Amino acid sequence: MTELANSGIGAPLPREGARRLAEGRGRYVDDITLPGLLHIAFVRAPFAHGRLLGIETDDALEVPGVVAVIDGRRLAEICAPFDTNPPGVPGHASAPQPPLVVDESCFQGEAVAAVVAESRAAAEDGAELVFLDWDELPAVCSIEDAQAEDAAPVHTRFSDNLSLRHRFGAEDVSEAFHGAAHVVEADFSFGRQTGVTLEPRGIVAHWDPRTEELEVWQSHQVPWQMREVYARQLGLSPQSVRVTAPDVGGAFGLKLHAYADELAAVAVSRLLGRPVKYIVDRLESFTADAHAREARASCRMAVDAEGHILGIDAVVDAGFGAYAMHPRGSFGEAMQAAQMIGAPYRVGAFRAEVRGWRQNKAPSGAYRGVGQPIACAITEEMIDLASRAADIDPAEMRRINYRRTLDEGTRATQAGLVVEELSLDACLDKLLEAMDYTALRSEQAALRAKGIYRGIGLASFVELTGVGAGLYGPLGLTVAANEACRLTLQPDGSLTCATSVTDQGQGTLSAIAQLIAGEFGIAPEGVRMVAGDTGRTPYGGGAWASRGMALGGEAAKRACARLRDGLLELAAGILQCEPEALRFEQGEIIGPKGASGLDLAELAALCHYRPYDSPTGQVPPMTVEESFVPAALPYIASNGVHAVHLEVDPELGTVDLLGYWVVDDCGTVVNPLLVDEQLRGGIVQGIGAALYEECLYSEDGQFTNGTLADYVVPMAGEMPDIFVEHVSTPTRATGLGARGVGEAGTVGGLGAVRTALGDALVPTGARVSQQPFTPGRVLAAIMAAEDAE
Amino acid sequence: MEMQDSRIIAAPRETVFEGILKPEMLRACIPGAEDVTGSAEDGFEAVVVQKVGPVKARFKGAVTIEDVLPGTSLRLVGEGKGGAAGFARGAATVTLADHPEGTELTYAVDAKVGGKIAQLGSRIIDGFARKMADQFFERFKTELEGARPVAPSLED
Repeated sequence: MTELANSGIGAPLPREGARRLAEGRGRYVDDITLPGLLHIAFVRAPFAHGRLLGIETDDALEVPGVVAVIDGRRLAEICAPFDTNPPGVPGHASAPQPPLVVDESCFQGEAVAAVVAESRAAAEDGAELVFLDWDELPAVCSIEDAQAEDAAPVHTRFSDNLSLRHRFGAEDVSEAFHGAAHVVEADFSFGRQTGVTLEPRGIVAHWDPRTEELEVWQSHQVPWQMREVYARQLGLSPQSVRVTAPDVGGAFGLKLHAYADELAAVAVSRLLGRPVKYIVDRLESFTADAHAREARASCRMAVDAEGHILGIDAVVDAGFGAYAMHPRGSFGEAMQAAQMIGAPYRVGAFRAEVRGWRQNKAPSGAYRGVGQPIACAITEEMIDLASRAADIDPAEMRRINYRRTLDEGTRATQAGLVVEELSLDACLDKLLEAMDYTALRSEQAALRAKGIYRGIGLASFVELTGVGAGLYGPLGLTVAANEACRLTLQPDGSLTCATSVTDQGQGTLSAIAQLIAGEFGIAPEGVRMVAGDTGRTPYGGGAWASRGMALGGEAAKRACARLRDGLLELAAGILQCEPEALRFEQGEIIGPKGASGLDLAELAALCHYRPYDSPTGQVPPMTVEESFVPAALPYIASNGVHAVHLEVDPELGTVDLLGYWVVDDCGTVVNPLLVDEQLRGGIVQGIGAALYEECLYSEDGQFTNGTLADYVVPMAGEMPDIFVEHVSTPTRATGLGARGVGEAGTVGGLGAVRTALGDALVPTGARVSQQPFTPGRVLAAIMAAEDAE
Repeated sequence: MEMQDSRIIAAPRETVFEGILKPEMLRACIPGAEDVTGSAEDGFEAVVVQKVGPVKARFKGAVTIEDVLPGTSLRLVGEGKGGAAGFARGAATVTLADHPEGTELTYAVDAKVGGKIAQLGSRIIDGFARKMADQFFERFKTELEGARPVAPSLED
């Protein structure tokens, strides 16, 4: 066991794969170059909404090095627009999105013309000389404006701006509110954010007219999805498309989507028959990457005199932007924001209505946590409001309402969630002890008397991880939900794992190598990982919904078992014993009498070079492939509890984070170092959402803070120490038992800061509904409360 | 954004007013102007090259003169399309009044930018616009007072 702990599951091994990246030896898309490579710079729409009347390209074509200026009409001849209306989502309405604007542009930053040149600099010089003639159309930007009865349409093919409407739970929950001891109600506003990856999006596309094959290198999470997208849009066979994701410097969901500008780059290569490169610059990232989170919500909660929740009634209005993101749509965030409200608790009656609104802004899409941070923030503040109304300690309020396990004989909540075993009680116990909750509360009371406003906030969450085919399948979306592992024993005794899982910096590949190494008792260096290449890996999802270890790890574990079983059977024949009596230790086979002298290298050499030496004349396959998709459950729910301690300066409105704690249950932990850093990184993004980050648009739809000087992301200096601890409840859905963890920090982070701020402001009577909680908003809330007195 | 300011110009009111209407005066005074053609009656066409923060922009624009009260006031209305950089549009109301040292020129500018340059945020945009307006009227004053302006650097 000691040896296992040093090498296999549970070992805190440093991430060897990170050394190359830290030393600057990464190979990102922009590092890839091909003979005859051309570069693209896009001319983008300056208005939030407009009709394109003409494009003047003569001056641009005279710039030395400029090869072509290609517009939307030209591309439309060879490339279909994205049609993002999943058949399984009734009433969903999104306009077709062409790779380049053909006629009507619907958000500022939409790509209009591609200037193609021998160098990026020449392409940019050319782009400066392309002049667009426009009719400006009325723009609709805020959710309220989109909702207005007489609102101008975001896209002229529609008469209104409603893209989606759905209800979870009961039609009417009013009975639960009648006669409740307390009913609390609150409005919420969530600011629009974007992912801000260190490496921006980028693509190299090469249509080879000789072989009629398309090769694409892209900074992306899901190469298999992109292979199918490009094949579909360009009318090619998926077999003739190969997509490779080389090293990727952060993705966070925004590299899960298919973007019009990237499709345009691929279509330009198809048109010109030459390789092209397009790297999104930072200014373009802000306006053309997927945005997320913009929502307004109102929620009512009824509780009895003892604090038990009797009912929840919520409405969520989400800002979708100009188009549904392809291919998965923009509805995921809105749906999860509504459906996951109240998820950690037994909530009695439940109703959550969700509406999605088109806006003349960048399309919204997936961003770490997808809707769940919104649901968690709403739920947790409602719990706090109810606990104050019922005069119950917030920690106790949570405990008495926690949803426990299957013990009630049902796995589906009223919102339709299928929740496995939860461990919220155990997480809360560990958390309260770690933070010394009682002492913090006493200190808080003492300081309040001195006019120092500190707040203690809790946020419990349930998160859907390792999502299987049950989500997109019924919606009619063709998205691979399995993860697969192709494991090969090489002739020298080393192992190669080709996995469908992709890694954008999480270290998932290192952890899978660690897991595989542990199964054979060898060092992780003995396992070579191959990933992110449809030409070399088995079919599967990639990276989305926290699936790398939960699903990809399970596939690897199963592949190991099959390869090992075959090898042990062979060894048993040689050693004349039962296979069950044999095991691998440091790559060597240990039998009933100890070391057998047979090791992986010896067995591999026998199988590859001297199969006739096998006692049976048969050798096991040297390559095995396993694919896993959760079957019994649609996804693997994880859970945990976050806590924040902060201080508000009531004169300045500033928020100072004093401490952060999280206890998470992601089941089996393969590498605790990687898991803890996933939690911390996610929490930092949650804090960013709570305090700093917001995409600010002017009334007429101009993005007004699209630089890293004005769009403020959290830096190390603002971050408190983050204490991470675990409860481990292995999921029964897999043999490995791992649940997802990549998004858990973000899911709870926003809610925990929100409840802590609310708690700090109790003496002032103020409440800040609009996030991020900037000093201006905090101060305005405090002053409004003073005026109301 | 809105800006206003005033200048005392050592020249008679009529001279100042006529100066505004001349294309060669606009060419000399618009910072970064490469070319100005047209007339006060039919409007001017201008090509202006400027660098806003990290974004270099070549604006092709049209300037028209409206609400003319000879010798007293007028409005300059302009719109520039900047290719990949975005657009800028604005209007300046210029009012002239007699002053012991010549003429007091008061201007009120309302300007708006869009596209890539708008992204740079108000700290950069507002400062840039203020600098443009200052330079324009400062050069105008210098031109009228007879001294050649020192060519200002685009990089400052």
